[in-house]
Amino acid sequence: MISKVKHIHAFTSIKRERVLPIAGHVLVRRMQKVSPSDVIVVAPLISKFVLMDIAQGLNVNPSRADELLQRQAGEDLVEGDVIAGPVGMFKRVVRAPQEGIVRIAGEGKVLFEISSPDYELQAGMEGTITNIIPERGAIIETKGALIQGIWGNGKTTYGVVQPTSNDLLKELVVEQLNIGFRGAIITAGFCKSPEVLEAAGIVPVKGLILGSMPANLIPLAKKMDYPIMIIDGFRETPMNKAAEKILIENKDKNIALNAQELDTFQGNFPEGIISQSSTSEPDLPSEAETLKVGKKVIIINGQQAPQIGEIEKIISGKQVLPSGIETRLAEVTLANEKSAILPLTNLEIIND
Amino acid sequence: MDTTIVAAKSVIAVDIGSTITRSLFFDVVSGKYRFIAVGSAPTTAGAPHFDVTDGIWRSLEELQYITGRALLSEKDGVIIPGTPDNQGVDIMVATMSVGNPISVVTAGLLDTVSLQNARNLAHTTYANIIDEISLNDHRTSSDRINLLTRKRPDLIIITGGTNNGASHSLLSILESIGLSSYLLNESQRPHILFTGNEQLQEEVKSGLSKISKLRVAANIQPVLGKENIQPAQKEINEIYKEVRNKQSGGLREVFSWTEGTFTSTAAAFGRVIRFLSEKYEPEKGVLGVDIGSDSTILAAAFNGEETLRVFPNLGVGSGSSGVIEKNSLELIKRWMPIELSDQEIRDYIYNKSVNPCSLPLDVEQLEIELAVAKQAIRYAAETTIPNLPKQLGAGGTLLPFMEPIIGSGRILTLAPKRYQPLSILLDGLQPTGVTTLALDQNGLLPGLGAVSEANPLLTVQVIESSTFLNLGTIIAPLGVARPGTTILRVRVNREDGRSFTRDIKYGSLSILPVELGEKVSLHLRPLNRFDVGMGGPGKSGKVNAVGGVLGIVIDARGRPLQFSLDPEKNRKRNETWRKTLSKYE
Repeated sequence: MISKVKHIHAFTSIKRERVLPIAGHVLVRRMQKVSPSDVIVVAPLISKFVLMDIAQGLNVNPSRADELLQRQAGEDLVEGDVIAGPVGMFKRVVRAPQEGIVRIAGEGKVLFEISSPDYELQAGMEGTITNIIPERGAIIETKGALIQGIWGNGKTTYGVVQPTSNDLLKELVVEQLNIGFRGAIITAGFCKSPEVLEAAGIVPVKGLILGSMPANLIPLAKKMDYPIMIIDGFRETPMNKAAEKILIENKDKNIALNAQELDTFQGNFPEGIISQSSTSEPDLPSEAETLKVGKKVIIINGQQAPQIGEIEKIISGKQVLPSGIETRLAEVTLANEKSAILPLTNLEIIND
Repeated sequence: MDTTIVAAKSVIAVDIGSTITRSLFFDVVSGKYRFIAVGSAPTTAGAPHFDVTDGIWRSLEELQYITGRALLSEKDGVIIPGTPDNQGVDIMVATMSVGNPISVVTAGLLDTVSLQNARNLAHTTYANIIDEISLNDHRTSSDRINLLTRKRPDLIIITGGTNNGASHSLLSILESIGLSSYLLNESQRPHILFTGNEQLQEEVKSGLSKISKLRVAANIQPVLGKENIQPAQKEINEIYKEVRNKQSGGLREVFSWTEGTFTSTAAAFGRVIRFLSEKYEPEKGVLGVDIGSDSTILAAAFNGEETLRVFPNLGVGSGSSGVIEKNSLELIKRWMPIELSDQEIRDYIYNKSVNPCSLPLDVEQLEIELAVAKQAIRYAAETTIPNLPKQLGAGGTLLPFMEPIIGSGRILTLAPKRYQPLSILLDGLQPTGVTTLALDQNGLLPGLGAVSEANPLLTVQVIESSTFLNLGTIIAPLGVARPGTTILRVRVNREDGRSFTRDIKYGSLSILPVELGEKVSLHLRPLNRFDVGMGGPGKSGKVNAVGGVLGIVIDARGRPLQFSLDPEKNRKRNETWRKTLSKYE
């Protein structure tokens, strides 16, 4: 059976596409080194349009209004520039409401685009530009640690990673959130209290990476101004050992935290990237692999989640679970030398 | 070789689902079409593959292994048509449901009329309505242009005006839509479906066809009060395919293999239900429900008139969090016969939505999934019933008499006990009168729907080959009484002349012990003016029935089911119902 690979890697190659949904101006070049705050591409992502009724404004019919137009499509205007007129005893005119550009003119109307500040798409991670996507953005590649999660609150940041304790097994409590964490991306095993999320916002931390949290905190977590990423699931369990090790070992290093919302169809996972310089060239991680004996796996459902173990045996034929469902099972040896019999569907491969 | 579908012998129907791609193989056995085997593999439409053909190929490889018939060639892909030495397949059809819902903006004259038509149309496919434009929304033309250029929908549905009716007001909305489309890059321009006043069709074509991907269908409401949705439904299905084609690689190959016999799973599901309604009792409707990982489909048809509703993000896998978000935890919990904390239930549902392929390990997890399935179907039924051409009960909130009701979806077919799919359908749909609950145990319905237009013979013969599992004949009397009051007397006459009589009390759920496949004659005598669909309240009658897996189920719990404000009372009642049904397993 083929399984999805859970991306938790201490050192791997990472390749990400950073693009805008509309055409813009790409500001980087191939092989350029970028930092997370560097702007990749700019574009007027949120234009504002005004449909101006020139005929009504001049109090004439549409064909007469067209004769009185002083501007053509494509002309740049500043606030107050005359678009049409003058006409009549009082020299009535229609003026540009703000700085902008005439997009369409005719039939007594003008469609005017008000100038808006360009949206700047940042690199969001350290790396090297390896490819330019014309008018849209670029491909950035780096090497380093990668930790993907299963839930994010849609926000991104970049900063220093700071574990809140020596291990990431425990619950994060309000008392731990001291001023020393101000501006840091903090990590903890799990959190179960809304007060913790609020207190973290008051410190303020720059971001929060948790192994798990109960699902009833989702609405509050979405409202928080700082990015929150959940690595393992919705429960109250310590962070998986592979992610914990990476985050502890990289204490005080910079992490690019992209807590984007999960979209498995598009392949968008919330993730943290810690770039590392090295002369070695690891392969890009595989996305799916076959579950077989010797493979390292992470448990994704049930009381034993998110423990990591190794497949000892794939049991032949379908077996009946305590739920009554028949499915293929594997015997998995866990870190504590104990073994568990689990459905293949409840395992994901982990190549940390 | 003649490859017209009617002349074809072997057919493969591929269904590209949100998690699994299935390839169904049909062939002629002893002169009749039969379902032979199914191969399945994970769907590869999305990341990281973005190519549906990988999943199709793997499912066909499995099918090849099961049937021993060569279906694939490294050089040519799928071997079409079949060869005289039984290699390949004569015809291939495909259905698809995977992918994020298409984003839709509806536009029309009035919120209560035109927009309602547009909503009904959008809900016949996998779509999310992200905004609406109407005359009474008080938006200026500029507001509309800004809305459309910012939200960049995949599709704009324009309705409004009866034929020969209003045109001027609709033109002002059309102007905003045209200008916004012009302002977007060509690749980002939305599909536009105009299904309003037919007098405007030429004007719409001349104004919008050059600056948008325009389709025009017959007016969805040609005269006030009459909805004509099917022509527009065909167009929206074509648009769905075009949007998907842009998002997933490999669909061109699928078009080529299927020679265009490719449709959305929902459209195919609706089509087969419509087809069945023309075949079964014309005075009753046929109902189909498909509950998938991400979405739920409800299709009802009365003598060829189809009502189709698709509910994206309402399912038992990735769509399970949508069941909480569209309802509430309490509405899910009310179906559970065991006691679990709110946190355990909520956490399990959200974990399931991010790991949709994971399986429930124990009875507690399974009961959560069954409760999610019941509430997803309940939500779909309550939303759809007002749009059916017939309803029952005060305010038209009850499902009309249907025969049969067919359930489809892995939660139903993989349920370890046979009473579990019956319980999901019975509680979720709450059928009325006398009906049969059947299970599409091999997930054939979308495939049969895709084939039905071109080869109705295959659809008929496969359906007649006992492909559906009869879960049970259901008798659900309608009316109100005090719990414990006798409301129905049932006499069961067996074919061997033996008979027995049962008095049914209001509030009960009971089973008449009739063997699977046993034919019996039922004499139903409702008391206290209860209605069992024999022509009105209190009317008696005879009906022939066939025993299902659970015999004959008499559901006298009332319609709609009433729940206590005390969760513990609901739990105990669910436990009693579960024991009743499981006893006859």
